[in-house]
Formats: sequence, structure tokens, C-alpha cells
Amino acid sequence: MLNRRRFLTTSTLAAASLAAPGLVTRALAQGEALKIGVPVPISGAFAANGKFATIGALLAAEEVAAAHGVQVSTLDLDTEGKPATAVRKVQDALAQDGVKLFAGGILSSESLAMGKEVERGGGAFMTTAGADEITGVDCNRATFRWSVPTYGAINETVRPIIDALPDAKKWYTITPQYVFGDGLLNAAKDVFQEKGIEHVGNSYHSLTDKEFSGYLTNAIAAQPDVLLLLNFGAQSSDTLRQAVSFGLKQRMTIVVAWASGLEQFEALGPDICEGVYFGAQYWHGADSALNRELVAKVQEKHGFNPNYSFAGSYICSKLLLEAAVKAGSPDGAGIAAALNGLKYQGLTGEEEIRAADHQVIKDYYLLKGKAKADMADKDDYAEIISAGKSFLSPEDAGCAMPA
Amino acid sequence: MNPLDKPYAQLALAVLAVLVLPLFLKSGILATEILIFAMVVAACNLLLGYTGLLSFGQGIFFGIGTYAAGICLTRWQIPVPVVLASAAVLGAATATLVGWLSIRRQGVYFVMLTLAFSQLFYFVAYTFSGVTGGDNGLLGVPRPSVGGTALNAPWSYYTYVAVCFVAVFAILVMVTQSTFGRTLLAIRENEGRAAAIGFPTKLFKLEAFAISGAVTAFGGALHAMLIGVAPLSNIEYHTSELILIMTIIGGSSSLFGSVLGAGFYLLLADALSTVWPRWLLLLGLVLVTVALFLQRGLWGLVERGYDLVFRRERAPETPAEEH
Repeated sequence: MLNRRRFLTTSTLAAASLAAPGLVTRALAQGEALKIGVPVPISGAFAANGKFATIGALLAAEEVAAAHGVQVSTLDLDTEGKPATAVRKVQDALAQDGVKLFAGGILSSESLAMGKEVERGGGAFMTTAGADEITGVDCNRATFRWSVPTYGAINETVRPIIDALPDAKKWYTITPQYVFGDGLLNAAKDVFQEKGIEHVGNSYHSLTDKEFSGYLTNAIAAQPDVLLLLNFGAQSSDTLRQAVSFGLKQRMTIVVAWASGLEQFEALGPDICEGVYFGAQYWHGADSALNRELVAKVQEKHGFNPNYSFAGSYICSKLLLEAAVKAGSPDGAGIAAALNGLKYQGLTGEEEIRAADHQVIKDYYLLKGKAKADMADKDDYAEIISAGKSFLSPEDAGCAMPA
Repeated sequence: MNPLDKPYAQLALAVLAVLVLPLFLKSGILATEILIFAMVVAACNLLLGYTGLLSFGQGIFFGIGTYAAGICLTRWQIPVPVVLASAAVLGAATATLVGWLSIRRQGVYFVMLTLAFSQLFYFVAYTFSGVTGGDNGLLGVPRPSVGGTALNAPWSYYTYVAVCFVAVFAILVMVTQSTFGRTLLAIRENEGRAAAIGFPTKLFKLEAFAISGAVTAFGGALHAMLIGVAPLSNIEYHTSELILIMTIIGGSSSLFGSVLGAGFYLLLADALSTVWPRWLLLLGLVLVTVALFLQRGLWGLVERGYDLVFRRERAPETPAEEH
């Protein structure tokens, strides 16, 4: 067999189990090691995200091993950003390596597919992917999601800006034409209607577009007060770059509703980000005990600040591993029982895993880009303007959790 | 002719590959994927190697098969053999349509037409998300059942696919050895001369397209059942590219070369992707090497090895693709 697998086995620190004995309610079988698969794109267009995700998962594994005196190993699974490859790697990990826990899946399409596969294999899967269906119509017993869905992302970015800019009555949107983009757009339209905002236009683009000047010209023609970008990743960066080069920052307020955090700021640079609003799932400057602890650890160990890919993978892995220790087994049913309804101090403050749809209830941040002169350090690209929790009920999200 | 190129030798090698894969691979999923792509690549070889048609449309047919299985099995619970047959028929029909329009032009224009169709079908699948699931794909595609038992274990589904693979491979061998197959070779070598002696070359090309489309869609349907999802990526232009790369690496002068090409690519990707994020760079080097020094692909190496061992005098190497 060609050995594509890289097991990163962490040390067993038996004495450290004394540190948190109360958390262990059932002992794992003697000598049983916990394995967690990290299915993320390690090669291909999203390789940078995958690299940080694997390091984040490894840190979580080391912490759980040290805290509970169990052997924990991570198994990196390169999804290549393709659902077919992702599912095959997960199937292999389930069948060959006996892995039941999976934390990863940056892209929605691969996460949805992997969630189904992990459910079939009797494991548990936690993801940071964006598609509403993950904890909506396609929710299942095995799949948990840490990131805030589109409804919360819009409500925690658009509402505070409307409140802060009462004279900004005309908004224009640029949207990727697929389910995720429409989710953001529909949520934004609901807020516009409620707040009496005039939606002066929307430009749809495909997932393969790289050139947005035509859409920006349409936006300029509509003379909005605010330009709301509903695309993400490289497409939102490209749109923002082109908007800034068109001089739109001087003409209107620009909002990126679904930013990927520090990685995106690094790619764009402070000159482009200055004065632009960004919605974000995570920010390393967030004021919570666990986040401060994580930032300090990562700085000490790796010499950089954790970004969203790192933090998301870290918290998902940590939650799953802690649940496995608590349940005494990595089996999906035990993990679900341990996680459902769990309240904990997370990276964004108090977080809760809603039992009805396996959605983590957590803060979403509104950030505003700082001027280069105001940055305290090289990663201090933005200030947190507001943070809050907005979620549809499981019924409204469309989740009918299978029994 | 090298003895290994004889039809029975080719079929025997295919059967041997089916028997050997479980001995060397721990992953039944990977082994199954190799067989599925082997038949799809062999179907591409029928166009590239035997007819001289460099088609970027293979991803269309693979995606059509994937969606046929996804829709039929998740919405209507149609028996799997019927689904597979339907996928093949649908693939043949789509290939006939694409081929009918594309073979009107030759050379670079033919390639551009297949590329354009590839993009067109991708956007159709992307736009009609109510049918195809759009970017999320169709989830929950079940595996087939035999005797009331679902083939959920990797090696049991491998056995199912292996039977299909051998049957499809045998059919392709028969096609290439038939008068029809010989005529395709004549068209590849000199289309004008083949037409001058009375062969309806366009019809032959169209039939090659239809057979290739049917097998590719059949493989797409098996792939959807393997991974339990019908993803949008299966109908992307990149899938066409992937199939072509496997065909060229394996060698377009032999059907078994396609098995080698599929196996080589998938095993290389599997081994290297977690070791080195830029492993595709290596693939580029492999392609350059094949294009410069190994125009008969891995199969050419096998032939050379055979000739060396049995001290046969090797025929001069000629490019397989005269397009």
C-alpha cells in the first residue's frame, strides 16, 4: 500500500489527566487511542487554508492528550477541495483506520457530502463550512457546525451598519449565483425591508468570475450609499480590490459580509481594507479567555496569530475530542449525546451547541479596517465594531433532525 | 505486433489488474476508483488513440452519468441495473449530440468546440440547481444491493465494479478489433483516404463518440454510487482534463494503457497530496516527459520492457495521435 497517510501522534501524558478529572465521565478502553481525521484541502487552490487547519487540529489534539492522559493522533486527509476526493478519503479513514471523528471541510459542497458519509459510518463530523443546509434541510445526527450561517452573518453585519449610518438608505449588492449567495442575499433583503432600506440593485456573478468591473459599473450607476459584497474568498478580495481601484471607497461605504478573516486582510493589505466593513466568524483580537489563551499559545509555538482556518479547526477538533473523552468512545451517538446542549466558554465567548440542529450558537463579528498608521502590530488590521448572535430557529432553518 | 497488444492479452491484463489490485491496495475505495476511471479513460482512448479525436467533452458524459444515478436513485428508487443502462443510453445520446456538432470541424476547431460544450454543460448543471443540486450536488446516492444486501463494504462494491469493468473492457476490446475499430484506425491515419474509398467517416466518428459517451456515463454512474454524492465537479471541464491526462500518461495506443494511466495518476495523487501541497507540479513534469520522450505513454514502457526481456526487435515509435 502506498502510504499517503501522515499520522501525527501526540504524546501521552498520563500525569496530566489529573488536571481535569471531572470531565472524564467514562474511561476510554485501556490503551485506546483517539484518532481524529482532518479532511481539508491540503493541495490545490485552498491549500493555504488546509495548512493552517491541520496545525490547529494538531494543537487541539496535543491539549486534549495532555489534559486527559489519552493518546490522540490526527490524520490529515487532503480533500483537494473536491467533494469526490473528500468523500473517498473519509470513507478510507472510516474503513481502514477506524477514524470516527472528523473536523474540517472548508468548502460547503465537500462538507455536505462528508457529513452524510460520516453519519453512514457511525462517526461525528464538525465543520466550519458556510452552506445553510448543513444545519438546515440536510442536517443529520453526525454533523455539527461551528460557523454562523448566512442569516446570522447578514444580521450581524447589515443591521449594525444601518444603525450606525442612518442616512445610508440605498444599498447595492453583488452576489455569487448559487445557493450560498442567495442565502445571504435573501437574508439581506429581509433586513432591508424591515429597516426601510431601498435595495437599488443586485449583480449576480458566477463562481468562476474573476473580473468584476462590469458589476461595479452597474453599482456606480445605481448611486448607492452602501455596496454590500456577498461573495467570499478570492472573489470578494478581487471585487474589493477592483472597487477600491475604481474609487468606490470615496463614493460609498463598502461592506464585505462574509470575510475569511486574517488571511484575507493579509492578502489585501491595509490600504485596501482601511474604512471597509467586514463580517467575520473569528478574529484573533476577540476578547474571550479561550481566545487569549489560544493566541498566546500559537504565538509562542508558531510565532503567528491564529487565523480563521486555524481557529475553526482547533475548536472543532477540541470539541469533538473532549466529547469523545467524556463519552468514553468516539462513536457518533456518544459524541452527539455529549455535545447536544453543551454550553462552554469558546473562542468567541459563551458558545452553545443547539441540540435540535447541531448548530453552535456563537458570536459573529463586524470589523472595520484600520489605517496602516493606526495598526498596533502587523496583524492589527481591523477593530471590532460589534459582535452578536443571530440565528434562525431550527424549524425556520429547515432542520428536521432524524431520530 | 507486440504479443501484449493482442486482444486476449489485453483482456487478460485487465482481469489480472482486477485480481492484483486488492493484493497491493488496502483501500477498496481507491481500488474501485481506479477501475472506474480505467474504463472511462479507455473510452477516451477510443476517441484519442483509435479515432484521433482530442475531446475535452468527456467530463460532460461523466457528469451526465453521475447525475443520472443521483437523480434516479435519490428521487425515484429505480433499480440500479436500469439506472446504469439509462446512464449509458443518456451518455450515448448526449455524446451523439455533442459529436454531431463537433465533428463538423477538424483540428483546433474541433477541440475548441468540445471545450465550449464542456463549459456549456457545466453552466447548465450549475444553473438548474433544483435538478442537479447546484454547487452542493445531490447527496445520499445509495450503493447497489445484491441479494437484498447493500454493497456498503468497500471490497464488496469493488467486486461489483470489477465485474462491470471487465465486461466494459471486453466490449471495448471487441469494438477496437472489429471492422469498425479498424476503420477508426484508418480514419485516424488518413481521413481523406478513408473517405475516398467510401467510408462514411463522419458517421464512424459519431459512432465512436456515442460508444465513448455511453461508457463514460456508465462510469460516472458507478462513481456517484461509490462516493454517495453526485457533485458538480464531476461535470466540470477539469474532469475532462483529468481524463485526457490519464489517457496520455497511460498511452493511447493500447486499451490497457488506459488502466495504467488511471492507476498511475490516482495512486500518485493519493501518495503525494498529503506529503507535498504542490504535487501537481510533479504531474506537469510527468506530462512533459511523456510528451517529449514517451509518446506511447506507460504502455510504451511496458512494450519496451517486454521487447528487452524477450529480445524482440522493436518497431519504430510513432506518435499515436495524428490529430
